Amino acid sequence: MSEGDPKEQLERVRDEALRRRVEFAETRYVAIRHSGLMLQDGRADRVGAGERAGMGLRVLVDGAWGFASTESSDVGDWLSCVVDAVDMARVSAQRQEERVVLAEAPAVIDEVKASFEIEPTGVPLERKLAAVRGYEEASARIAGGATANLMTGYSDSRQVEVVCNTRGTLVSSESVRTMVWHAITTQDGALRQRGRQYRGRQAGFEVVEETPAEELSVKAAERAASLLSARPAPAGKFPAVFHPSITGLLVHEALGHNAEADHVLSGQSILEGKLGAPIAAECISIVDDATIRGSWGSYPYDSEGVPGQRRVLIENGVLKAFMHSLETAAKMGVKPNGSARADGFANRPIVRMSNTMILPGEMSLEELIGDIDVGLLLGAGQWGYVWCEKGQYTCHAGEGTMIRDGKLAEQVRDVSISGMTLETLSNALAVSRDFEMDMPGMCGKDGQSMSVNGGGPYVKVQEIVVGGQA
Amino acid sequence: MRDPGMDDLLELSEIACQEAMRAGVDSADASASRARELSVEVEKNAIKSSGACMWGSISVRAFSSGGTGWWSASTMSEQGAREAGRRAAELAKAAEADPDFVDLVSPAAYPEVAGLYDEEIAGLSASELAEWITSNIDSAREVAEDVIVAGGAQAASREWALANNLGVRVAQRETNSSVSVHVVIRQDDDVGSFYEWDAARLASDLEPDGIGARAAEEALKYLSSRTMKTACLPVVLGPLASRAFFLGLCAATSAEEVQRDRSFLIGKRGESIASDGLTLTDDPMIPSGLSSAICDGDGFPHRRVGLIDRGVLQTYLHSNYTAKKSGEENTGHSTRGGIAPTNVIPTLGEKTAAEIIGEVDDGIYVTLGRPYPDTASGQVSALVDAGFRIEKGRLTYPLKNTMVAGQMLDLLQNLDAVSSDYRAEPGMVLPTVRIQGMRVASGE
Repeated sequence: MSEGDPKEQLERVRDEALRRRVEFAETRYVAIRHSGLMLQDGRADRVGAGERAGMGLRVLVDGAWGFASTESSDVGDWLSCVVDAVDMARVSAQRQEERVVLAEAPAVIDEVKASFEIEPTGVPLERKLAAVRGYEEASARIAGGATANLMTGYSDSRQVEVVCNTRGTLVSSESVRTMVWHAITTQDGALRQRGRQYRGRQAGFEVVEETPAEELSVKAAERAASLLSARPAPAGKFPAVFHPSITGLLVHEALGHNAEADHVLSGQSILEGKLGAPIAAECISIVDDATIRGSWGSYPYDSEGVPGQRRVLIENGVLKAFMHSLETAAKMGVKPNGSARADGFANRPIVRMSNTMILPGEMSLEELIGDIDVGLLLGAGQWGYVWCEKGQYTCHAGEGTMIRDGKLAEQVRDVSISGMTLETLSNALAVSRDFEMDMPGMCGKDGQSMSVNGGGPYVKVQEIVVGGQA
Repeated sequence: MRDPGMDDLLELSEIACQEAMRAGVDSADASASRARELSVEVEKNAIKSSGACMWGSISVRAFSSGGTGWWSASTMSEQGAREAGRRAAELAKAAEADPDFVDLVSPAAYPEVAGLYDEEIAGLSASELAEWITSNIDSAREVAEDVIVAGGAQAASREWALANNLGVRVAQRETNSSVSVHVVIRQDDDVGSFYEWDAARLASDLEPDGIGARAAEEALKYLSSRTMKTACLPVVLGPLASRAFFLGLCAATSAEEVQRDRSFLIGKRGESIASDGLTLTDDPMIPSGLSSAICDGDGFPHRRVGLIDRGVLQTYLHSNYTAKKSGEENTGHSTRGGIAPTNVIPTLGEKTAAEIIGEVDDGIYVTLGRPYPDTASGQVSALVDAGFRIEKGRLTYPLKNTMVAGQMLDLLQNLDAVSSDYRAEPGMVLPTVRIQGMRVASGE
């Protein structure tokens, strides 16, 4: 934690940078406190907490970026970063193809406090333990003798990010996040299967109180238990319907990363040159929205001090916009839309998603499935990644159900799928009116980890490659 | 941030540990570390940003009736160390008892591991890193004029110390540096890309030149990629894909996963889990190895461990906690929070990679991919990030939208070749391996 008022110290660092005639300087102080516990096989024998804070400084010198950071709380060390950052910028300037220019954005002075009902740090450990134990007990009741291992976790964090720049912005944003999770391993002979479920929001301990076991550990246990009698998934190309959790992975990995303007400008995105063009089926509209109250990926201001916004990326199949930082907005001649986020103090802001979703349509799940002869309903999305430049992505589904003659048939085990972004988006046939956005997680990009959420309706696609064993 | 030297790190660790013990816990250990990293990032053939970062932190584990309290903080002060010790003790007392916890690691002699620290790497300037990475932009451009290069170069030095209540006092200083290049080549709507890197602890082991050229040459090979028919085929894993495959296998050998009933390798110790052509050794003492160290995260002295001997699983990987819980020998693989392998070395076979591919009439070659098993089920289902079709012993065309799948225990038994030639990186031996009868799903 900072020894003095971080705002005053940031302003001293900013002023020192100006004294050294930088074109732009942005100082950020980030402090995070976290706590967590894990209950495993009946015992909450691991309890942890901690705090981390530091300052990162970004400067523009000769149109080139330099960055320096320190975990020290000493303002003297912070001021030393000015020298380092300016030196770094001079290194960057050695090999620049064009000067960095930043888009105009109004200077903002603001302080945003986190919104929550029950302060997590004020909740006694016993109460947290009782809640977590309830999840475990409910899971064990469902899985019964098939239970091999149970893990249940609780975590909360409080982060304060203060952004101060040479354009007069001085913004402090506080966020409080609380998450509970449950993971169960079931066993039948040598066969083991898993079920996992998460629930997390930007809120206090009320997240736990508002999450009954039926929505967390019971779901995980039912899945892990039923997967013991499921068959391996088939291999090959199939028509498919994605559960909202797979939709969330798909929209994040396949489209979202490609719509980050830094990827577009650096030649890494398949969406380069496609703004205004139809790139998806008409039923597909995609939005990244940083303003959803309480959602895991929301924020009032990004790490450049620009307000978080709702960004329509695709509207009825047409590519409408990208996500931008001050730098990418200037390069593309558009207004910045508050998408520059930094992981802690030791990283520079880069273009990131927030809460990314496909918007719902009119159909029911039954209608989506009704005309599929042989296909899969894929659910329980777990993870994914994308090779942006190729538009080749993969997502992992925790469970699947075969569709036969328009009806849900036998369950299949967890499996990964793969596709090419533009093919998948163009081959989308319909989306449901049912909608969920409940995929709180962390997204990795350039070594930085960022809180995001994703979701959408059920989405029917003409075909997807299923990496099954059968 | 002042630079008090390694003795001060040990002193901070001792203070934090003693403070936790004074607060009434049964056992405690504390580690203090600091690091400095320089980095230069490249985007679209130009330097995007250069950075200098400094870290310093203390983490304390305290144990009360076996229950663990853990506190970590970004502080390097004596006051911060004392507070960390007290906080960890409070948490330990709040945790429930764990009767499986015995005690912490006892003092022991540590092995000498050469080549962990290099003044030359520690003294590198950002300008030198910039020269490395920009020379790779140039070498990539010499291969293909319209190439798009991203990537970066970094150099870091880290000092780490650990003390526990039984008298363990250990400190280590280490360096590492890397250069990575991601090359994209576009021709109309077609795209070829490749990722290449080099990493080392010592400047003398690092070869920063020519990475860009190699990446560009590889990227050209991935233009005009195609799908194929879904089939059951031999799959040849190149050096980088085989590394991912073996590291995924090692994750399931964690004694924590085994003791908690979450591994497909439960009950398999002493049994044949792979073809007799597979022997794997974990060696944390390879001089200048990227995963080498004198001890693990608990402070237990490192040693060489045989993991798989001609297909037979020899041991699970243990931390101090899991070893004492089961009354087995500690293998020294704690990461102070988990269990992980270090330098995993496969024993080489008789045939070259070219011969192994040459024997495949109909199959695929995986250059890049993450064919990890689920550690509980052993099921593999993974995208081929980059790879080729093999027809009549030759790599014929690059693949897209293609996946590989199988059951890990079946795949290990069907592993019928490990190459005699390999890619060498510090602490890594990366051969080519072949697995018969893997499920290959693709978009055709």
